[in-house]
Amino acid sequence: MAISKTEIEKLAKLARLSFSDEELERFTAEFDEIIAFADTINQSIEGGTDQIRSVGARMVSFDDLRPDEVMPSLPSEKILSNVEGYNGFFSLERSKK
Amino acid sequence: MNYEIVCGIETHIELATRTKIFCGCTTEFGGEPNTHCCPVCTGQPGSLPILNQKVVEYAIRAGLALNCKINTRSHMDRKNYVYPDLPKAYQISQYDEPLCENGYIELDSGKRIGITRIHIEEDAGKLIHENGYTYIDYNRSGVPLIEIVSEPDISSAEEAREYAEKLQLIMRYIGISDCKMQEGSMRCDVNLSLRKPGDPNFGVRTEIKNINSLSFIQKAVMAEAERQADILDAGGTIVQQTMRYDEATNSVAPMRDKENSDDYRYFPDPDILRFCIDEDKIEEIRASLPELPFDKLRRYVNDLGLPEATARQISRYRKVAEFFEGTLAGGASVKNAANLIVGTIFSHMNTEEEKELFAVRISADQFAELVRLLDEKKINYGVAQGTLQKMLESGKSVDEFIKPEDLAGISDEELESLCREAFDANPKAVADVRNGKDKAINVMFGFIMKKTGGKADIRKAEALLRKMIGHD
Repeated sequence: MAISKTEIEKLAKLARLSFSDEELERFTAEFDEIIAFADTINQSIEGGTDQIRSVGARMVSFDDLRPDEVMPSLPSEKILSNVEGYNGFFSLERSKK
Repeated sequence: MNYEIVCGIETHIELATRTKIFCGCTTEFGGEPNTHCCPVCTGQPGSLPILNQKVVEYAIRAGLALNCKINTRSHMDRKNYVYPDLPKAYQISQYDEPLCENGYIELDSGKRIGITRIHIEEDAGKLIHENGYTYIDYNRSGVPLIEIVSEPDISSAEEAREYAEKLQLIMRYIGISDCKMQEGSMRCDVNLSLRKPGDPNFGVRTEIKNINSLSFIQKAVMAEAERQADILDAGGTIVQQTMRYDEATNSVAPMRDKENSDDYRYFPDPDILRFCIDEDKIEEIRASLPELPFDKLRRYVNDLGLPEATARQISRYRKVAEFFEGTLAGGASVKNAANLIVGTIFSHMNTEEEKELFAVRISADQFAELVRLLDEKKINYGVAQGTLQKMLESGKSVDEFIKPEDLAGISDEELESLCREAFDANPKAVADVRNGKDKAINVMFGFIMKKTGGKADIRKAEALLRKMIGHD
């Protein structure tokens, strides 16, 4: 096994997700398969995925970075259009926990 | 039991760029909530961050000023954590390939505090907790920060303060941030553990978060070292945790359990390309750095012969130092220029901020003209001070206030007869001085200054008067 149930529980906790025991078992098996697949890719490349990063990936030079020029922001109504806003703020009800 | 303090400081500094680190939204402070926002800095799906060139340049400036090695290749990582101040649930930061590494800051004692690394990252939004609700303003989200991590080389509260103060001074000098701790553009986290003297191993450390003044850094280090010493003395163990310093009670209390660093599950951000910086570019940035405050201080004391206290006051503020150097370039003497800046110009500036801004209404050349008159003894120090006051108020040049006929000064013969007059007119003062009340001589100075409209050379007059009184 590439990943344990304890690790899945920890990841779920970090992501603020809760799962039933049955779901945890299923995810552990699924994660394990996904990681095993990624490992297969890794093994098929000489030098592993680190090699992809250092050789294969394109790099930008300093001169190609974004110039520091102000662009218009979005109107706040637009920014808040999909959420519950309050006086221009995003608002969240705090959990009682 | 005596313990040795082992302390390192992480400092977040907001960079003074116009735009945010990954989008063109303004970094301007304040503004109505959520008006400096776009899809990128509010983490909308499908939006793509593009790295701001100025952020990289400023971070390199910081690295060079702190004697770091600059990595010619670097990339951004995702640091994952769930909290509403981060709309994406991750912060874009740097993990294993920071822009700058292995630098140092030298303290006055000559001791060097190592700089482990400097990396660039985005600031989070601002949360306001009220009535069971959390209100979020993402104007600050995406404002560029550098995080400067020191080695655990700091071994006292004083050193902690000096380190932070020097860091602040250097960052202001190189023009990358205003480093206002009260306003949050510079924030320090202090890591601290204790160990028995000579013990090669580190003790368990705690981290005190978000300290917002230099004196609080010093106090927080003292308070936390005491707290840990008490626990160890009582046979207890230190719990690794995040603490908060409360300035009202001058004490340190736990905030939340410290997460292990691998809980952040860092990985390279696939949205942002790795970037490289030519050696030539790094040298170009190095060449654009100003002389740093401690180099200036050393030069002012060693080469210009200024007393250290004066040199320190002038070199502390870049604009003041530039004004001072401009005055010297205008032919003024070091001593008179320095004394008038510290004695007269600074008397108009009550706060650090005013000295930092150094908004004077006269140019260094105008000031040099005045100082030269003093150097050439055409006016005395008192007249120079008075004239300078008027120049500062009006922004006008020295010739507005001192006419050529004023510059003739008082001849030695004239001064001698004036002193004689003062001596004869004030028999009581003369008697007082003879009886040991030395301050009574001021009466005669006042007499002479009044007669000459302040133009007499008071040092010469004093010598003459003392001769007459018989106290020379």
